[in-house]
Amino acid sequence: MNCEVCQLKELEVEHFEIREVLRCILHTIVFHRALGLVRPKDIDSELFEITYVQCGDAELEKKIEEKIDQFIGWVEKHPNKKSQATWFSNKTERLYWEQWYINLNVAQQPKAHFAKSHHSKVVVDPGECALVERSVRRAALEAALREVLFQIIKFVNEKRDHIPPVPNVEGVSFPYEITIPSSSDSSFGMDVIKRMLQTGHPTMLS
Amino acid sequence: MALQGSSQSESGRHEQIISQFLLKSLHIILDSRIPSLSRHDLSGELTPVSRVRKSDKWFNLVLGERPASLEDLNFWHRNVMDPMIIDVILVHEGPSSSATDDLYTTSGVGVPVETVIERWVVQYEPSGTVPPQQVEAPASYKKMYQKAIVLLRSLYSIMRLLPAYRIFKQLSSLNQTYNFDLIYKVSSFGELLSRAEEKVMKQYSFAPVEAPSGRLSISLTYQPTLSGFNLAPSTPVPPNIITDYVGSPAADPLKVFPCTDKGIPATSFSFRRIHSPTSVPFQRPHSWSSGIHRVAPFKQNHPLCGSPPAHHTPPVPCHSSSPPDIYGYRIQGYRPPSHKKGISFDEHQLSPPFLPSPSPSPPTYFSSGNPFRTAQGTETAPVSIPLPNMGRNSRYTIPNSSDPNRHSLPPMSPRSTRLDLSSQESPSSGSRSFRKTDALRSGELSGFAQLYSGQKIFKDSKDDSGRFSGIVSSSGSPRVGFSRSSSRLSFQDDLDDCDFSYPFVVDDVDTSDSQTRTPEGKEASESTSQAFPSARKSQDAAVGVLVHMLRTAPPLRQDYSCYSSQTSKSEFEGEVGSGSGFCVPRKTTDALEELKSYREMKDLLLSQSGTRVIKKEEAKPTAFVG
Repeated sequence: MNCEVCQLKELEVEHFEIREVLRCILHTIVFHRALGLVRPKDIDSELFEITYVQCGDAELEKKIEEKIDQFIGWVEKHPNKKSQATWFSNKTERLYWEQWYINLNVAQQPKAHFAKSHHSKVVVDPGECALVERSVRRAALEAALREVLFQIIKFVNEKRDHIPPVPNVEGVSFPYEITIPSSSDSSFGMDVIKRMLQTGHPTMLS
Repeated sequence: MALQGSSQSESGRHEQIISQFLLKSLHIILDSRIPSLSRHDLSGELTPVSRVRKSDKWFNLVLGERPASLEDLNFWHRNVMDPMIIDVILVHEGPSSSATDDLYTTSGVGVPVETVIERWVVQYEPSGTVPPQQVEAPASYKKMYQKAIVLLRSLYSIMRLLPAYRIFKQLSSLNQTYNFDLIYKVSSFGELLSRAEEKVMKQYSFAPVEAPSGRLSISLTYQPTLSGFNLAPSTPVPPNIITDYVGSPAADPLKVFPCTDKGIPATSFSFRRIHSPTSVPFQRPHSWSSGIHRVAPFKQNHPLCGSPPAHHTPPVPCHSSSPPDIYGYRIQGYRPPSHKKGISFDEHQLSPPFLPSPSPSPPTYFSSGNPFRTAQGTETAPVSIPLPNMGRNSRYTIPNSSDPNRHSLPPMSPRSTRLDLSSQESPSSGSRSFRKTDALRSGELSGFAQLYSGQKIFKDSKDDSGRFSGIVSSSGSPRVGFSRSSSRLSFQDDLDDCDFSYPFVVDDVDTSDSQTRTPEGKEASESTSQAFPSARKSQDAAVGVLVHMLRTAPPLRQDYSCYSSQTSKSEFEGEVGSGSGFCVPRKTTDALEELKSYREMKDLLLSQSGTRVIKKEEAKPTAFVG
């Protein structure tokens, strides 16, 4: 059984942008892989001028939010580390047939310069520069995120033969795992959520 | 026999999947581009998935109720081998073409320009050779179906990532109107794009879905950026003050208006420009649009309405009554029981292709609304006056329902009424002005052009879209202005209440001898009519009376040839009877008598308004004395 792997482009994000970026990416992946009956729901991103699509499954949305919270918590505890998360693994009976890697480079939080400065003029300028710089980075991130979404769509379209048969279910049709990698010295541990469906013998589409 | 039956059912199933694929793609595309067809539920309360109609469950993608136009397309696009080309067209303002536009527009808008910003080509490409074993494979259609599910998901996602989606979102907003619009055109052939368009547009193709005897493909040509277009919120046009307002025929139907050819400047619009020959062809023999005006060549071999072609009448196996069940998994309520096969199959879009066509001709022109209605209604008088404030596109509706002169408009034709009331069901674009132009285009345009030439085209004060309002009064009489009409009518009521009748009220003036009406009298009436818009009380009327009298009063000097007593009512005639000698040199006594009459008149006026005149009392003894 071949396992298709998709390594998404790395995104440089700030801490407060992690949630929205992951929402866009995860929901897009899930929407293309939850092949049961869905009523799509358009969501306008809070930070970017991007509209992504959710499956309209409340339980799924909750799971994803929980996972994002865990990831953010992990990032806070492990600064200066690139996180390459094996986020979404479609599997049937523990046979992974697809893996997605979401690569995020979380920028360090900038130090607070203004608190130490004695001159008000000096305070203002770095603040303004920071704002301009942030808006530029935000625009770049939005463009990069859009590219990632296009990358997902392209991968989803090109690789269809490995998808198992779609059962007649609503929403998520295949079991999936969302995994956050942990460093060796981390006490956070690996958190794995498994969702199993009773499936028959998997037959592959060739 | 069994093999033949199964292969027939397989081919029937393939056809059905292809047909539904085309329909679903069209639904996805139009739902994301045409605001009037978008069925997004903004309330947040969605129908549970389990209660979704079976016809909406195709490809496991619930989109909501399909507009009627798509149902008609299902009937029109009978030949699944024909490509379905969907053009998403941006209608926007172009540069002003001539200085004369400024005379007729208040906002200096340009000519509407239509630009194809997206062209979607959805088609089934049959392959040359078909391996027999593939055709007979029982699960071949299931694989195709599953892959089509994935493809349509991608299509749905990418619709929201393309630049045109932002425009759609803007147009879908309820609290803002814009000077642009999105319309669509669906056809089985694609008109060549201009070189300029081709240069800037990019291509995108989805990976095709392999089918046993061909493949399903979706490709896109699109504008990568729309920043070059002048897309902005439309600004409300300030009310235009008509300085030479001569009244409305509704107030006085008997009033004879002077020749108005010279005197009535149009306040707007480029509605006439919409009907310019360059942009409005009337024939669309073979594609379906929401307002595009390009002549499409007739396609000879296009399947006509009427009896369904043979490939749409396969025998219906029991399990094919719903979107294919994959490997026997069931969900409650989703798969109908086997004994209901015939009924369920009909539910899944097979019945529309078998509907007899109301017209033996090919679908000629799906301008707006139901194409069948359009085809039937092409000969009717398209006096379509959309109801105001309908849905999000109220900017395109005409004027103000509170316009008191509306009663003078002819009643709406049933067809136009139907168009107006089915704003959500209409397959046309979000542009109601284009719907209106469609109505006009159906044959009465030249008549309308003549009817409205020289007439003022007014505009609803709430209309923000400027050029696209397309407001045309269907009143048969010239309508010079509307802004003052309501107050003027109230003034009329005041007049009726007063016993005192004012000679310069237009109605009264009209009943007098028109031959003796002098230019001065007319001028006075006009000036007083100008003064009267704000008159709400008899005191103001009295002032007006006095002004008029002073104006029409003969000068103290000579040359009273123009003086006319006919401008006064009979009540005054007694007072100024001595003044009827027009060319008699006046003496002091005459002047004194006239002064006396004026004084009495003044007193009368003041007494009417409830003010006591002390001087009158004082004058009496002097009169006796003198």
